[in-house]
Amino acid sequence: MAFLDREHSVADSTFTRWLVPPAALAVHLCIGEIYGFSVFNVPLTKLLGTTQSVAGDWTIPQVSWLYSTALILLGLSAAVFGKWVEKNGPRKAMFTSACCWGGGFLIASLGVRFHQFWMVLLGYGVIGGIGLGLGYISPVSTLVKWFPDRPGMATGMAIMGFGGGALIGAPFGSELMKRFATPTSTGVMEAFLVMGLVYFCFMVFGAFTVRVPAPDWKPEGYVPSLVQKKLVTHAQVSADEAIKTPQFWLLWAVLCLNVTAGIGILGQASNMCQNMFGVPKAVGDGFAGFLSIFNMGGRFLWSSTSDYIGRKNVYFIYFLLGALLYSLIPFTQHLNNVTLFVAITAVIISMYGGGFATIPAYLKDMFGTMQVGAIHGRLITAWSMAAVLGPQLVTYIAEYQKARHVPAAQSYNFTMYLMVGLLLAGALCNYLVKAVHTRHHHPGTSTVPLTTIPKQP
Amino acid sequence: MKNSNLIKLCVAWMVVCIPLGWGVYKSVEKSMPLFKGRASPPAAASGR
Repeated sequence: MAFLDREHSVADSTFTRWLVPPAALAVHLCIGEIYGFSVFNVPLTKLLGTTQSVAGDWTIPQVSWLYSTALILLGLSAAVFGKWVEKNGPRKAMFTSACCWGGGFLIASLGVRFHQFWMVLLGYGVIGGIGLGLGYISPVSTLVKWFPDRPGMATGMAIMGFGGGALIGAPFGSELMKRFATPTSTGVMEAFLVMGLVYFCFMVFGAFTVRVPAPDWKPEGYVPSLVQKKLVTHAQVSADEAIKTPQFWLLWAVLCLNVTAGIGILGQASNMCQNMFGVPKAVGDGFAGFLSIFNMGGRFLWSSTSDYIGRKNVYFIYFLLGALLYSLIPFTQHLNNVTLFVAITAVIISMYGGGFATIPAYLKDMFGTMQVGAIHGRLITAWSMAAVLGPQLVTYIAEYQKARHVPAAQSYNFTMYLMVGLLLAGALCNYLVKAVHTRHHHPGTSTVPLTTIPKQP
Repeated sequence: MKNSNLIKLCVAWMVVCIPLGWGVYKSVEKSMPLFKGRASPPAAASGR
């Protein structure tokens, strides 16, 4: 298996760096399926009864553990295996991710066949979750190294794939279940089997396409900026050292708060639209689908924008514009203006996606490229926490409002104002981010700001 | 850029763009009712 090693994936001089984004996209498009997993929720509760749940069938709360476990394992594995990914290179990491993700589906398929929940949990939740974490961080540091001139655009392209994965995964799963369903089967087992094989092949394509640049490689005509920017370091910080800095934890909070706020809308988009404006369920579901396009597009657009206006500024936009837009949502209900509501929420969700995609470039600016993948992996725990706790918080508030007999149309107002508070807290954390102290720099990589060098006569 | 590289590049981008395009198309299709549907006053707004 030596061909998977970093040394065997170093690009030669004829290799074009524009092959790396599709390799990264191939992996992210597959693992992004996690966001579309909800299409399996109801069918998984009817495995015995086929048309309806019967005694012995799994329940929705039970099935929802598959998604939660996978997300928790995503964060944990990204944090634990980050340094392994850096050491072994993207090809081995992507290949391992393909084995875990594809293999996880196959084990889950067996679990469905024998109606063993633990097996599905082990396959999709645990092994698949590890594949998610490895796959998510594997191309990040490579992309940053290939695109030192546009790191935001490069990582935005890959992480856009994660958003796009949901757009593919949900209809792909539905079509497969429809194709394989029989009067005595929901078609879930066969769907898992096919998805496991297809995703494995697709991710292996990514693994064999990706290359790491030679150590002395630079893009043609690229000259690193000679002007020292306050928040862009030319020094390097190791992953172990990074977590000792306040900057790491501030960025952890920035990501966590941005994700929690986005989930405030994304998690209940359809119900919100129905309850606030009285639209039918089909329209509410359409709204959720519409938002997912902005979730994906925002990842690329906002992250690319950050290359021009800076990471800190782009996060200020996410937080401050986001807070303003969230505070306007109750007024759209008051005006009964669905178009305005849709426009506002689309921008909010684009910034939610942008938050994910901009963070690797922000980390690169703060800690350098040496172990940016491993640092990113550790930061991903913020997402896991937000993804599990965020919806719980929103559901709790909704239930509380219901218990207080607040009309359904206005029951979201409090949540929206809470999101404004979270976003303002995020803006404060972002404001507090300053350059990493030189004592954290890897020996021999510290640079003296050029502004302090006396001018030559 | 050599011709073989250009072909590789086109194929690699097609491999990812075709499924992504299909996914976007399905999402747009799913969101159509949003643009066709008419909003009625929220039933729950007047009461519980």
